[in-house]
Amino acid sequence: MQESVIEATNLVKVYKEGQIKAVNGLNLKIEKGEIYALIGANGSGKTSTINMVTGSLYPTSGTIKVLGLPIPEKRRVAAVQIGVAPQEYALYSDLSVEQNIWFFARLYNMKRPDFEKRLDELLPILKLGERRKTAVCNLSGGMKRRVSIACALVHKPKIVFFDEATVGIDPVLRAFFWEYFRSLAKDGLTIVLTSHVMDEAERADRIGLMRAGKLIEEGTPVEIKSKYKAASIEDVFVKLSEGVVVDA
Amino acid sequence: MLKTGFSLNRVGAVTWRVLKQISRDRRTFGMMIAMPAIIMLIFGFALGGEVKNVPIVVDNQDAGYTTASGPSTNTTLLFGGNITSALQNDDRVKVTQCSFDSGRYGVDNGTYYAAVLIPTNFSETLFKHGLGNAASQLASVKVVVNSTVGGGRLISMPLNLSQALAGIGIIDNATVALYLDGTKPVNEASVLAALQGALQSAVGGGGVALDKQFAFGNLEYSGLDVSIPSVIAFVLTFLVLLISLIIITRESTSGVLARLYTTPLSALERLLGYSIALLLLGIVMVCVILGIGIGVFGVAVQGNLALLFFGAVLYALAHIFLAVFLSNFAKNELQAVQMAPLIALPSMALSGMLIPINAFPDWVQTISKFVPMYYGNRVFEGIMLKGYDIGNLAPEFAIIGGIALLFFMLAVMTVKDKIPA
Repeated sequence: MQESVIEATNLVKVYKEGQIKAVNGLNLKIEKGEIYALIGANGSGKTSTINMVTGSLYPTSGTIKVLGLPIPEKRRVAAVQIGVAPQEYALYSDLSVEQNIWFFARLYNMKRPDFEKRLDELLPILKLGERRKTAVCNLSGGMKRRVSIACALVHKPKIVFFDEATVGIDPVLRAFFWEYFRSLAKDGLTIVLTSHVMDEAERADRIGLMRAGKLIEEGTPVEIKSKYKAASIEDVFVKLSEGVVVDA
Repeated sequence: MLKTGFSLNRVGAVTWRVLKQISRDRRTFGMMIAMPAIIMLIFGFALGGEVKNVPIVVDNQDAGYTTASGPSTNTTLLFGGNITSALQNDDRVKVTQCSFDSGRYGVDNGTYYAAVLIPTNFSETLFKHGLGNAASQLASVKVVVNSTVGGGRLISMPLNLSQALAGIGIIDNATVALYLDGTKPVNEASVLAALQGALQSAVGGGGVALDKQFAFGNLEYSGLDVSIPSVIAFVLTFLVLLISLIIITRESTSGVLARLYTTPLSALERLLGYSIALLLLGIVMVCVILGIGIGVFGVAVQGNLALLFFGAVLYALAHIFLAVFLSNFAKNELQAVQMAPLIALPSMALSGMLIPINAFPDWVQTISKFVPMYYGNRVFEGIMLKGYDIGNLAPEFAIIGGIALLFFMLAVMTVKDKIPA
């Protein structure tokens, strides 16, 4: 039996402002070394789910365990072993690529020599080698996204969360990224990503389809497509949504 | 076992990041250096009271008075001419001689700030009064002062010597010793001050002398000297708040703060990291401000310069912690920028910077005691002008330190450590 690294039970999040139920009774179990894609339209509750699992947003009710640690109670302990690349670039635009990554490395108490070694690994993979000293404000959107991914991976986490992290990256690089993600997963890294681009999710090991704060379907891409006799995950999503627009 | 306790390395990372960011952000860095200089220059000159070359008109109609000074010698007294010469030699005013009516017109249309008329019988009246021959007759000088644009005000200055010089306590042929606090000079207009000086010089030695002794080392301070301590307090209040708030709030608006919640960095580590970086920046600002005050304005520092520096840094630290506390309530940079003047301007009014505290009603004076700048003023003024040491200023230092601690505790208690929902 595989080891669960993320477990969420009856997760509910109600935002005070407007009494919006962003997440509504979500149950989630993700295993070690899995690439799990949480997909759904904008406003379906993906980011709220990720924020709760990473401990930055407190749930209204329900329980979360990450690497066996209760979240948010032990979020600082869990934080040492997770990396997050949020939907926004969330970088210091005045600092250079290297300075941004070094700042995040220091938050995980990395020593400079270890950081240098890690940077030499990451920058070529993320095609940022020549941009090492460039200020982030002078980078393109895709490059900023890659810097954000580097910041999430610098401390060699056990779980990494990519919230719409591959948005804005060109298709060739995205394919390269998936290859890289796959190699990381083989080494035991668990990857949780969110996307509203359905076809991208087909590369994941398992998919969770979210709608209106609920997980409406879950399984491998092949299982889901065959269950609904659909050619693509996007077709499945349309069928499940019954043509109802969730978020205009 | 994973280590997640308090980490100085993480505190250092935040400090390093803030300083690196500032060094690359020319706008904010420039503001840190240029704004103290500009504000100091503007306020220094505006509050300094060193107004020079005020254009005035003098109409000297004094015919003089000839009196027998010996059996066969006559002496002609020209007190009006003496006054005119004295005014011409006084750099506070720039004298134009023309008719009094033209002068009044000039005051009304804004060309001049004052018009002075010395009447025909001025010397004669003054002389006779001096002999006691004209007890009821007063020599007078008419002055029109431009108090508002286009609206002159007529002041008749009686020249009964005892009355004319009553402001400085002179009585005919008598010497009055006057002991006063030079750090609180009377708020006199430059024109009136120059005229008073001229009137005094017009009577020559005349047996009149003013023996002034100033407290605090018998040093007479200029308006600039006495205003700079409160200007330093104001500039520190305003700039430290403004820059600190901008730096901290920028992080929350760029989305990085939400990302930091997912890292091992605790709220306390983050606040300490900000505070240390801002303190270092505050020290730079203190150096700039004191450098301008002492180097450019040449203001006096009677006390210990190191104590002054320490006082300024402690005062800056209190405002850094205030900014850290307030940043918990600012949703964006605009709100943060609005907070700085909202704090600094009432502080300026209530701290005694513009008007001495004892001129306020009692209840306002009570409110003033809750304004940090009130204590900042007392510390800077005490060290710079009165030569106070730490023993004299212990209560003020303790209160400023207490304010710093209070704001830091409030900041820790109210800091956001998760995405608000």
